[in-house]
Amino acid sequence: MLKLYATILKELLLLRRDRAGLLVLFVMPAVLVLVVSLVQENVLKTIGGTSTRILFVDKDRNSLGETIEDRLREFGSLEIIKELDGQKIDEKSAREAIINGDFQFCVIIPGGITEAVRERARQLVTRSLLTDDIPLKNDIDVPDLVVYFDPTVRGGFRSAVVSSLNMAVLSMEIREKARIFSELLPKQMNKIIQEAIGPYVSEKFVEDIPKMSLDWSSQRMMGIKEKLAFSKDFETIPTSVQQNVPAWALFGIFFIVVPMAGSLIRERQDGMLMRLLTMPVSYLTLLSGKVIAYVLVCLIQFIFILIIGKLVLPFLGTSMLEMGSSPIAVIMILLSSILAATGYGIMLGTIARTYEQASMFGAISVVIAAALGGVMVPVYAMPKVMQEISAFSPLAWGLDAFLDIFVRRGDIKTVFPEMLLLLSFFVGTMLISWSYSFRQDRTGV
Amino acid sequence: MTQQTEFNQELIAEKALVAREVVKVYKGSSSPALNGLNISVNQGEIFGLLGPNGAGKTTAISIMSTLLRPTRGNITIYGIDIVRYPNEAKKLLSLVPQEIALYPNLTARENLRYFGRLYGLRGQQLENRIWESLERVGLKERGDERVFTFSGGMKRRANLAAGILSKPRLLFLDEPTVGIDSQSRNMILEKLALLKNTGTSMIYTTHYMEEAELLCSSIVIIDKGQSIAEGNPQELINRTPGCSSLQDLFFAMTGKSIRD
Repeated sequence: MLKLYATILKELLLLRRDRAGLLVLFVMPAVLVLVVSLVQENVLKTIGGTSTRILFVDKDRNSLGETIEDRLREFGSLEIIKELDGQKIDEKSAREAIINGDFQFCVIIPGGITEAVRERARQLVTRSLLTDDIPLKNDIDVPDLVVYFDPTVRGGFRSAVVSSLNMAVLSMEIREKARIFSELLPKQMNKIIQEAIGPYVSEKFVEDIPKMSLDWSSQRMMGIKEKLAFSKDFETIPTSVQQNVPAWALFGIFFIVVPMAGSLIRERQDGMLMRLLTMPVSYLTLLSGKVIAYVLVCLIQFIFILIIGKLVLPFLGTSMLEMGSSPIAVIMILLSSILAATGYGIMLGTIARTYEQASMFGAISVVIAAALGGVMVPVYAMPKVMQEISAFSPLAWGLDAFLDIFVRRGDIKTVFPEMLLLLSFFVGTMLISWSYSFRQDRTGV
Repeated sequence: MTQQTEFNQELIAEKALVAREVVKVYKGSSSPALNGLNISVNQGEIFGLLGPNGAGKTTAISIMSTLLRPTRGNITIYGIDIVRYPNEAKKLLSLVPQEIALYPNLTARENLRYFGRLYGLRGQQLENRIWESLERVGLKERGDERVFTFSGGMKRRANLAAGILSKPRLLFLDEPTVGIDSQSRNMILEKLALLKNTGTSMIYTTHYMEEAELLCSSIVIIDKGQSIAEGNPQELINRTPGCSSLQDLFFAMTGKSIRD
């Protein structure tokens, strides 16, 4: 026990005095969490995650413009701007504002569209009620509604806005068609009755044909209820903080492979390992001491990142990190992730011949595993092939488990498969390190 | 057990180290690094292990200090079979590697404290041993400075202090004076002579023949993994015609062609 304690103490002392190592372990993930969370919080604004200001140019100044404006307001997350610097916006200035990137999109209601829609509706309804022997007029042209988009607006948000406008136009068309229909139907019925019965029919009877109400055209029959797929009721909506804090904390944890592998290689190159192995202490004790020291450092590192998510980021205007309701699951996944990272560090330090090899390969492999694991871009947003490859990244296992706990409100049962994968990774890397060391011990190569 | 075997066992137990017919063949190598090496080191003597580059010195030291397993052969340290009981043997030996095997970011005292704990030392006993070791190598006043701030000679002395901390009965010294100034070298040789007087046995490798001639009561010259001369240095010099120093003897035995 004394030997293990001595090794842990020595490793912690060495880490405390390694300024570059501390920068990599603490400052780098902290800066990444802060910067990426804040940047993505802003990106969300451009893709609809928060309120967006849009320009609205109504050249028609009639009921269709008002209806569309009302529909866009119902959208909830849009702030409609009709004036800039106290001046009414025209199409030209609106386009310039979009090109300059000041706004994400602009809706132009062309002049005379309300009248054109009404005429077109009358024409369509009339045509549907008329018999073939009455000559048809030419179709009336209805000008198109124009929407200018900033090219940076993501496809999903663009589709949502266009769909919403389509809905507004469609509801207005239905309403207009219904209005014309209710206006023409009694006249048409009157005409048919008079043609069938002749002049003997009472005029009172014809006048008593019931008028249609317009309410039916705008009344919804089916509703759509949006629900987030949480396992239990949970108030937290996934935000950039919920994604980035566990993601970059994991990245920081896995970056310990660089100082860890480096310390193993330096011990080997400086003859330290040679000296240690001639002492009455087992290699397992030396490695365990190293692993425990790095586990402690990673725990401190994780707490440090959590404090950023809980206190610093909300102070800078983002939402606060929510950690679900299963602290045991958090601890178990955290320990499993740390062990997986330390196992990888030991394997790298055992196999790599030089510090340069280990630091280069270690850093690059962690960045690749992080990219595949959804640290930078969520896995569901990746192409299918990449999603399949992602299943092999330990960072993906860790991040998925953290999101299960933080966002989907999972518990220890939910994250058990990921925990098993991470621990298997640890055991696998340790076995590879052991067999490599054993081979060296036996053969001297 | 016969009387003869018991007698042999007692003789072996009296020796600091006995290596018999030690063979080491590295995987993938066509020729053995050690080919039937025999060494016998008496208690309290400084034994010189000499040889040109590639002769097998490092392999021999690695095997004798339990770092490598021999392909064949038998080695005992104070009667303990080091292949069968490496952990028991490790309690008796200590190695001063050719490299400065110290953590540069720790102070000399912190380094020694760590190594001492690995030998099971603790408390006041540990602090006393650290003090003694630093005192012996002339670093008592500099013990709280980090090793990376030391000069080359100071680092070598601190390296030696780590080797003697556990008061080993057998100390392996792999070129302990390489690359340092004359004063530090002289000091280390003096300290080793004093250490010998305390009964510590030493196996010493060096390329400086005058050091071996001065310090060692017995030497072995090895080449191509085999012992080619063994005995008291002066007797070996006297026995070999045309040799007036260990340097002459070494060249006579191994030739003057450069080994890489």
